[in-house]
Parts: sequence; C-alpha cells; structure tokens
Amino acid sequence: MTGPVALKAAYIVTWVILLGYLGSLLRRFRRVRQEMKDLKRSS
Amino acid sequence: MKNIFIAFIVLTLGLLAYSTYQGLFVAPTEQTMGEVQRIFYYHVPSAWTAGVCFFVNFLASVVYLWKRNAAGDALAAASAEVGVTFCTIVLITGPIWARPVWGIWWTWDARLTTTLVLWLIYVSYLVLRRFSAGGQAQVLAAALAIFGFVDVPIVYMSIRWFRTQHPSPVMGGGENSGLDPAMLHAFFWNLVAFTCVGIVLMVLRYRLQILEEKVEATHAAAALQGDAR
Repeated sequence: MTGPVALKAAYIVTWVILLGYLGSLLRRFRRVRQEMKDLKRSS
Repeated sequence: MKNIFIAFIVLTLGLLAYSTYQGLFVAPTEQTMGEVQRIFYYHVPSAWTAGVCFFVNFLASVVYLWKRNAAGDALAAASAEVGVTFCTIVLITGPIWARPVWGIWWTWDARLTTTLVLWLIYVSYLVLRRFSAGGQAQVLAAALAIFGFVDVPIVYMSIRWFRTQHPSPVMGGGENSGLDPAMLHAFFWNLVAFTCVGIVLMVLRYRLQILEEKVEATHAAAALQGDAR
C-alpha cells in the first residue's frame, strides 16, 4: 500500500464509520418512535 | 433547545469541512513520511474524542452508582457507544498508516496493545448492557466502566513509560517534540471538529436511550395493566 492510497483509505474509512454510525442511530430513532406511536394507539 | 442543537450541528459540519481541507491541502507535507502523515489529522483527534467519551462514561457511571439516577445511566450508555466508534476509527486508521511507514500492519507494542484492550473493555461493557437481564445490569455496567477507565491513562502514558514502535509524543513529549505551526493549525481544528462530532453523536445517542427507556416503561405498564385485568 503506497502513501497516497493509505491516506485515501484512512479518510474514507473514517467517514464510512461515522456516517454508518449516524445512519444506525437514525434508523433506531425511527423504529423507537414508531413503537411509541403503536403503543399509544393500542392503549 | 432544539434550535441550539441544530445550530451546533451546522457549526460542526462547517468545522469538519474546514479542518479536513486544512489537513489535506494546507498543512505542509511531512519530509520523511510524505502524504501518509496526513492520517495523523484524523487518527489523533479520533483517539482524543474516544478518550473524552470514556471520561464522560466514567463520570456518568460514578454519578449513577452514587445517585442511582436514570440520566447518569443513559449518558454512560451513550458515551460508551460513541467512544467505541471513535476507538474503532483509531484501530483501523493506525494500521493503515503503519503499513507504508513501518512495513507491517500491526505490532504488539505497549500503545497498540493497550488501545486494543481499551476497545475490548468498552465492547464488553456494551455487550453486558445489551444482554444482561435483571435489575443489576446497570450497576454491573457502571462498575465495569469505572474499572475499565483505568486503561485510558495507561494508553496515554504507554509511549512515555515504555519503549514502543509507535511514534513518541508529538505534544508534551519533551525538548524534541512539537509541530510545525501550519501542521499545528490543521491539527488543532481537526481536534475541535472531532470533539464537536463526538458531542453531537453523544447527544443523539443519549436522546435515543431516553426514548428506548420510555418505550420499555410503557411496555411494562401495559403488561401490568393486562395482568390486572
């Protein structure tokens, strides 16, 4: 692995991890909000 | 409060764009390592942010054990997860830097090993929280967090206490340490930007934790009502 390739790989990996984690948080928010709505409707 | 948080997110995005530009295009190229040294501008701020998250986790765990308040526990859960995310970045970007510079991906030196142990401790913490049943899970997690935090200063001091393959400290490492002012500028703004990203993620994760606990409490209340009937 050459220097410039390693540099690109490191920056891409960082962004993929951060955006992936943010995406997982947003998915979990959507699921919990939906669950909350269903609970309110059923009670 | 919501508007302040949105403004903070916008500020964080601006800081990230500025600091990445500084790290990639403005900071001078290091003479020995060349372009690959620029990984430093993401690697070290990630390690710093992980350390901040684990410190928040430590404080929140102490508060939880002391006061038994739900907010402390929620903050502990949030900060541990975000800390593990940043620690993962450190453990991946480090070997990517090491391969062209050292010729190897990994070596079991003190800094690398203690960082891997740190990651394993907080992954165990998350697994414990996720899969423990019963009322003692939060107490056990808080106790693990307090003992686990002992590794953070060990990681920081490892390159001072031991002779390691990992580079010696750039900041506060004695007479021959320090950065070129243009490098220092890029490093400083990346440090600020990553800290802000860590805060944004912790706030979001904290809110999610509070919502999840509300849903669990509503489920429990509904189950109790069903039993009563």
